[in-house]
Amino acid sequence: MPPSAPRLPRVPFLVLRLLAPRAERDEILADLAEEYAAKAARDGGGAARRWLWNQAFASSPALLRWSWWRSRSGYEPRANAFRPGDPVLKTWMTDARYAMRRLRVRPGYTFLAVLTLALGIGGTAAVFGIARPLIFDRLPYPNADRVVTFWMPGWWTEEELLFMRRKYSGFTEVAGYRPNDVTLAQTNAPTRLIRGIESSAELFSVLGSPPLIGRTFRRGDDAQGSEPTVVISYGLWQELGGKPSILGTRLTLGGLDRTVIGVMPRKFWFPDPAVRVWLSRPLDPQGRNGSYALLGTMAPGVTAQSVSAHLPSITSVLGARFKYSAKADKTRDAQFKTLRDELLGKMRPAIVAMFVAMGLILLIACANVAALMLGQVEGRASELAVRSALGATHARLLQQIIIEALLVGVAAGLCGAALAAAGFHMLAGALPIGAWAENASFDWSVFVAALAMAVVAVLLVVLAPAVTLWRGDLRGALNRARTGGIQGRGGRLERGLVVIEVALAMLIASGAALLVRSVSNLYAINPGIDPRNVAVIDVVSNRNMRMGERARVLDNLTHALSALPGVRSAAVAMKLPLRGGGDSFDITIEGKPGLEATFTYFRIVSQSYFSTMGITLRAGRLFDSSDRPLADNDTTTREIPVIINEALAKKFFPGENPLGRRMGGGFNIAQRVIGVVNDVAEGALTDQREPVRYYLGGQAPWFGNLEAFVLKTRRAADLPAVLDAARQTVNRVAPQLAVQTTTTMERELDRAVGPARQVMTLLSLLSGLALVLGAIGIYGVISHFAARRTRDWAIRVALGLPGSRVVTHIVGQGVALVAVGVVLGAIGTLALAHVLASLLFGVTAFDAIAFAAASLAMLVIGVVAAFIPARRAGTVDPALVLREQ
Amino acid sequence: MKTDSELAPLGVLEEQILVGVLRTRDEAYGMNVRREIERVTGRELAVGAVYATLDRLEAKGLVASKRVVVDGMSRRLFALTRVGATALAETRAMREALWRGVVLRTE
Repeated sequence: MPPSAPRLPRVPFLVLRLLAPRAERDEILADLAEEYAAKAARDGGGAARRWLWNQAFASSPALLRWSWWRSRSGYEPRANAFRPGDPVLKTWMTDARYAMRRLRVRPGYTFLAVLTLALGIGGTAAVFGIARPLIFDRLPYPNADRVVTFWMPGWWTEEELLFMRRKYSGFTEVAGYRPNDVTLAQTNAPTRLIRGIESSAELFSVLGSPPLIGRTFRRGDDAQGSEPTVVISYGLWQELGGKPSILGTRLTLGGLDRTVIGVMPRKFWFPDPAVRVWLSRPLDPQGRNGSYALLGTMAPGVTAQSVSAHLPSITSVLGARFKYSAKADKTRDAQFKTLRDELLGKMRPAIVAMFVAMGLILLIACANVAALMLGQVEGRASELAVRSALGATHARLLQQIIIEALLVGVAAGLCGAALAAAGFHMLAGALPIGAWAENASFDWSVFVAALAMAVVAVLLVVLAPAVTLWRGDLRGALNRARTGGIQGRGGRLERGLVVIEVALAMLIASGAALLVRSVSNLYAINPGIDPRNVAVIDVVSNRNMRMGERARVLDNLTHALSALPGVRSAAVAMKLPLRGGGDSFDITIEGKPGLEATFTYFRIVSQSYFSTMGITLRAGRLFDSSDRPLADNDTTTREIPVIINEALAKKFFPGENPLGRRMGGGFNIAQRVIGVVNDVAEGALTDQREPVRYYLGGQAPWFGNLEAFVLKTRRAADLPAVLDAARQTVNRVAPQLAVQTTTTMERELDRAVGPARQVMTLLSLLSGLALVLGAIGIYGVISHFAARRTRDWAIRVALGLPGSRVVTHIVGQGVALVAVGVVLGAIGTLALAHVLASLLFGVTAFDAIAFAAASLAMLVIGVVAAFIPARRAGTVDPALVLREQ
Repeated sequence: MKTDSELAPLGVLEEQILVGVLRTRDEAYGMNVRREIERVTGRELAVGAVYATLDRLEAKGLVASKRVVVDGMSRRLFALTRVGATALAETRAMREALWRGVVLRTE
């Protein structure tokens, strides 16, 4: 090439260089360079460059085919007889065939390597698939980045909403919404309850979400006297026929005919995927009706950081109009939260914890396979040494290991993807992500994730053997093999891997132990009821019934249900324990003035509620047949009995006998205390026990349109049959009522214990897996350790060392590895504990007992795994070993 | 060794390259063959395709190659074998037979 020639474009040359067979490479490249120079001189640099790129592109398929064909056929022209090098793919294909053979003759090793990697890959990929929409994807609202939620959700009243409308500084629009689950009455299907939201007219424009068809709410839809409208979800639309003609038709929702004005797109959800209808709500300018949450679109130029600067002006507008008590001052503690935090924040710790755990499993699997492979490399030391002596380069030997790892990785990636597909919905259901579980879909991204993880895993796995190979003195290995390895130390990297493995397993195990402690703490809280063998049937009224009629229907049904086979007793209640606080009203007590703005929970229950739920009487009596229901037009009865709980007795009658005292409030009738029962977790399990009043249904009106029947069965095994029979009984005896859901009180308790329980179950499973993987790692390394020194020990045993000392020594090695791993793992746990912190109850993230339990488990596993090879080494006959070598 | 009739007719690229080898004679290296075909036909050819085809032709026994050193660089110099010459002649005969009496008309 003349010195004046233009610089050669590097990339096309590199491509051709990579693809051309080595024997012809220089020739082809030199010719191209020459022609390139000629072209550049004649047609200019640009044309020459284009030509070269064209050549590289057009030649690639032919060159690839050429290489492939030569590798497969083994054809090499005679003219190349003394040229260096094989076709590029040839060595790879030879190595692949060789690796395949090696993997086939060692099925145990192959199976273990593929399976461990596949478990890690599949699990991580599945969690990724589930977590992606929750953590990584954009929320399905065009304005998602510009929407924040307002402080104190569930706090705003309609009066405040309307007064503040368009007075929010820093916001273009603000909407209020609250949950409102409604019944959907259909002519040809049973009535059912569907999750809904009622909101002010701004909701959809704040989110910026357009409908699929029709329209969303617009200004005036929430005015008093406006036509009741509803926007429905894509899913509900499909269930109702999926025809555009649904627009303008009416749906009977919660007993009210509403016009369908729009259908939202399939991907839309708000505030969670279980919500299927968004209802317009006529807002009352004087409405003290509360529990609205606010969300608003920030004005242009305002960011999530700068929006707080607008708080004082909003609170001052609010404060100037409304007077708040010190305890409930809405103008204090004001803050904004991003929409993502508000909607998905609660699920994040559980998902992150699972993600971390799965990732750790994958790392453990990698360490394990790396250790296995390292053992293989060391076991092949003589073979590799011979090959190296015959002229194989390090790169070539490394290539073989990489190919073996790649084969294992590809197999593991495929198995992992299959595992992820199989376990996806199970995992989604097991994770505490509520309605998102049904929305989680296994898609290509999980598959891609699985393959990506496989590649990462292979790279990690290959690292260790590559380092050994690179550092290793292969010819020395040949010598050692001959002399029997008395000097054979080595194995440091292998042991390092096991230490890492143990440390990671320790992380998972101590995380699981923390959650086990936390969850057992939650279960140790006495909910005040006996949840065993209690079936729950939630019913909803189809239509409005007068108080007397309703009481009669419920009473008849209770009798019918208690007569079912297997049922010990049956009762009905307005609201069951553990299902959130619910309704409260004011309380007055004769002889105790000054209780004006004091509220307590109240519950309407049937006669045998207490015995069915296992609530015990502390003083006085329970409701009995002498407590008669009141007729609708009853005006003569002066007082009704009330039962109170211990918390109420303690709060309002300290040091007094509450029995026989008269109370007021709520109903326009006096109430006499006839009994005191134990405290029950009415709201959340971990809440302070609140004062509660219980009234007998029929004497006090049944509120709302939802009731729950509870049936105590004789045995747990009776529950499914009883639930089925109960469903039929409701349809037969009380057609005015529809069964919503059936469940058991024990499941309700599980639900109340919350996400920690589900994460605990999964983490326990994973720590089991981690322990097994750790055990395999320890076993493998100790086996190698023992095998390497067999001759060493044989000599010592021959000189009089007892076999038991050999066993102790080897087990000691295993325990030492575990101990180091445990210490490192404990340090790691301390660093990572904050991931779990929000899931913990009653234990700190630094819990000694949890640590001790996890460490103990690891040590036991270590001893057991090390004992097997140790025994083998200790019982070996020295004469046999020495003769062999 | 395959019989001649099995090797004919040759593919278009194969035929062109064999003729190219004949045309460049003592200088039938891959690059020269490619240049010659490009010069005569006016069509650009990918260098990879030419080398790969020459290699395949040699595996079939239609050409043979030997190493020569030109300007200090080792090159593979190709030459037609007897089999190659026969295959080329047969391919040409087949084509000419096919064309005989055909008048190319467009409508």
